Amino acid sequence: MATHKAFTQEWLDAWKQKIAGSQEYKEIAKEWEGSVGLICNADPSKNIPNPVYLFTDYWHGDVRDFLVCDETKVQTAKFIMTGDYARWKQVAKKELDATKALMQGKLKLKGDLTYVVRNVKTINKVIDLLTEVQTVWPDDV
Amino acid sequence: MELHITNHAAEVPFSFMVQELLTGNIEKSEAKYAVYKKMRGIAAIDLPDIEAAVSLHFGQGTLTIEPGISPDAAVIIRTQAAQVMDLNALNIRWGLPYYFDEAGRKVIGLLFSGKIKIKGLLSHPVLLTRLTIIMSVM
Repeated sequence: MATHKAFTQEWLDAWKQKIAGSQEYKEIAKEWEGSVGLICNADPSKNIPNPVYLFTDYWHGDVRDFLVCDETKVQTAKFIMTGDYARWKQVAKKELDATKALMQGKLKLKGDLTYVVRNVKTINKVIDLLTEVQTVWPDDV
Repeated sequence: MELHITNHAAEVPFSFMVQELLTGNIEKSEAKYAVYKKMRGIAAIDLPDIEAAVSLHFGQGTLTIEPGISPDAAVIIRTQAAQVMDLNALNIRWGLPYYFDEAGRKVIGLLFSGKIKIKGLLSHPVLLTRLTIIMSVM
């Protein structure tokens, strides 16, 4: 299976492909509409010299744009999740549950929390599919 | 719609989630606002797996969130962080939590299996029911 460098467009494309190919996701995410911006804070000690901005867009079981972007674009997302590199890596490796991370303040959410809680299964499925992407992490190189 | 919510539990990140969730839920629903205005008493939520606990002090139109479990809490909900979301998913029908659909049956199952423990389930059903109503995101 191909591996991809984390936070690259190829990595995002692989994630998008996993989501688009999941029948279970299509069922779970029927109600979800809107984009999610992901911000990974800079951590030069882990080879993340600058913040990373990712824009992901979902629409009633379909996936739309998945882009490495700039801060301006990420701020247009309906929801924005922000966290340190170490936390994102833990989430993507299934070492940290995203819901718990939010409750513990390890990840921050900007957006309508009630909508997210109502659709928590969708969020969990999207993250589950991310864990299936073979990833090379910047601090593992 | 004035909610008068004060958070004294800044050291517990979960408290902000509870505050935001309750604010969002109540502001979107006149029915939930009416329930909130009637609530009086202390309910606590304890999530031992993430070492987070808050007490919600309701005063008929005011809410103060305090860290930890108040010794005067009439209702204490103790569960895992992931399971507390299942309580939020309960549907409300005819003004009451509805336990006869998938979400309701799941909560009943968690109660019977001991994965959700509720102190005050039988002794303070009114406060518990009202808390469930305002916590529901459905």
